[in-house]
Amino acid sequence: MHRPIRTIVSVLAVAIEVAMVILVVGLCHGMVNDSAKRVEGVGADILVRPPGSSFMMGMGEAPMPIKIGDRLAELPRVLAVTPTIVHVNAVQSLDLIYGIDLTSFNAVSGGFVYHSGGPFDSPYDILVDDIYAHSHHSKVGQTINLLNHDFRICGIVEHGKLARRFIPLATLQDLMVAQGKATTFFVKCTDPAYTEQTTDAIKTLLPGYTVLPMKEYMDLMTSNNIPGLNYFITVMIGLAVGIGFLVIFLSMYTTITERTREIGILKSLGASKTYIISVILKEATVLTLIGIVAGIIGSVIMRKFFITLFPTLPVELTWNWRFYAACLAWMGSIVGAFYPALRAARLDPVDALAYE
Amino acid sequence: MVLAAEYLVIHQTPHRGARKRKDYVEPIIATRGLKKTYRFGKVDVPALRGVDLIVQEGEFVAVVGPSGCGKSTLLHILGGLTGPSDGQVCVDGNDFRLMSDSDRTRFRRHKIGFVFQRFNLLPTLSARDNIAIAQHIQGNGFNPHRFDVITQLLGIGKKLAHRPYALSGGEQQRVAIARAVICEPKILLADEPTGNLDTENSQIVLDMLRELNRTFRQTILMITHNPEAAGVADRIIRMRDGRIISD
Repeated sequence: MHRPIRTIVSVLAVAIEVAMVILVVGLCHGMVNDSAKRVEGVGADILVRPPGSSFMMGMGEAPMPIKIGDRLAELPRVLAVTPTIVHVNAVQSLDLIYGIDLTSFNAVSGGFVYHSGGPFDSPYDILVDDIYAHSHHSKVGQTINLLNHDFRICGIVEHGKLARRFIPLATLQDLMVAQGKATTFFVKCTDPAYTEQTTDAIKTLLPGYTVLPMKEYMDLMTSNNIPGLNYFITVMIGLAVGIGFLVIFLSMYTTITERTREIGILKSLGASKTYIISVILKEATVLTLIGIVAGIIGSVIMRKFFITLFPTLPVELTWNWRFYAACLAWMGSIVGAFYPALRAARLDPVDALAYE
Repeated sequence: MVLAAEYLVIHQTPHRGARKRKDYVEPIIATRGLKKTYRFGKVDVPALRGVDLIVQEGEFVAVVGPSGCGKSTLLHILGGLTGPSDGQVCVDGNDFRLMSDSDRTRFRRHKIGFVFQRFNLLPTLSARDNIAIAQHIQGNGFNPHRFDVITQLLGIGKKLAHRPYALSGGEQQRVAIARAVICEPKILLADEPTGNLDTENSQIVLDMLRELNRTFRQTILMITHNPEAAGVADRIIRMRDGRIISD
């Protein structure tokens, strides 16, 4: 507190470091988990995707003939099958737009809960979920431009089933020039207990195709399995820790230089090297602890800010990552403060006492 | 009085129980042929050129001499802040030749109290904490009785909550003296303790040192330019060009 501006800057740097780690991880995990939960929300027991395709929904085109759906539906213990086609929309925001066959989709999922409006009436109708509608202030009857076409919002549905925006399957097939094709089939068994047997039957019927029971899909949908995501998280954490380390290093280094005489006084009183190192590390720890608390509070505020501005952006703040972020910040600070502390401990007491 | 050279010849390693002659009182400070040379670039600058000194426990000794004669260097070596280049130093039975830097630090913590011309109080701490930190560093914990006795003796009982910037020069120096003696050091080394004070405060500080010497039989080695200040000591040592010229 001797230098309030420097203290505030140091605390702020640690707070930014902690908040950055928590938010980056929270955002990545939130998006992955949210996506997985919405796929699970369809209510299907098995996913069928083309040979060699990724388990991720946005990956790949629509190479599967839609007639496969009929063959899947004929399998024993299969209650319903629905084909979907997905388009990755990168205009204005990055999201997935699904083409669905509403009748079969309802058969698998149990049907949408409509907040307002109703099902598709025409090929250029679109269903949006309540979160999308809230974030875009959308109402039934409004139009949305998508793939250079105007779509009329025909209904606003409860969120949690596959996507935030749905258009008729045939329309999206036409727009993607993928007539008669599908990206994913969702298969619902007559009883979830038959999932394993049905999975085996599908694998026999469609050798080489990716056939995933929903439980397995959910297990795969973690940041560890998303290509590049872990590298991204690691790089962002590295940057955040680097910022904290450098600021604490510079802060403590300048503190030592400014307080050379005070260190000389401590040495004249008989303070050992260990004592001086511990004094400086304790000071760094206090700054870091204040920064950690500020960072955790800041991350909660930032999350609320994000959700207000971008309601479709899921940010999951977990206590685990708050703890990890705090540990990383503390370790970065200790490493950052250690060299200045060592330098202080090695000062010659006579020179330090003569320092102006 | 035993000559330093004679003492150190007999007691080559006094702290290890070397033999003693019956008529000798073991001095608390003994140096023989003490030399210190500083090196600035390629130039050697001798600060001490062979100092022989004996100080008995309970003595109040003033060291006087012109600037650059080596007084402060002698004080720093006796306090273990720096090592000698050559010669022997034995303080309270500890031979500095046999001690590492960390040994000297430990020795200083328990046996030496410093008072400086510029007070050297920690600016962010109150007077109370400036005194208490010495006990904290020593590691024996806070001794409230000793604390009260010392602060009352030095007349700073009502100023303990103040930070150094809110104290006069005389009060700061009294806090510094309290800090120096709070851990009951064997030796109090004072480097121009009245150098930054007016006449009135100088007299107060000198009276305090005298009182400490009488009350606690505190050994004091004081460096000063001021002949009047030196006059309060039992013994005056004069230095010039890194040597003692009179005792």
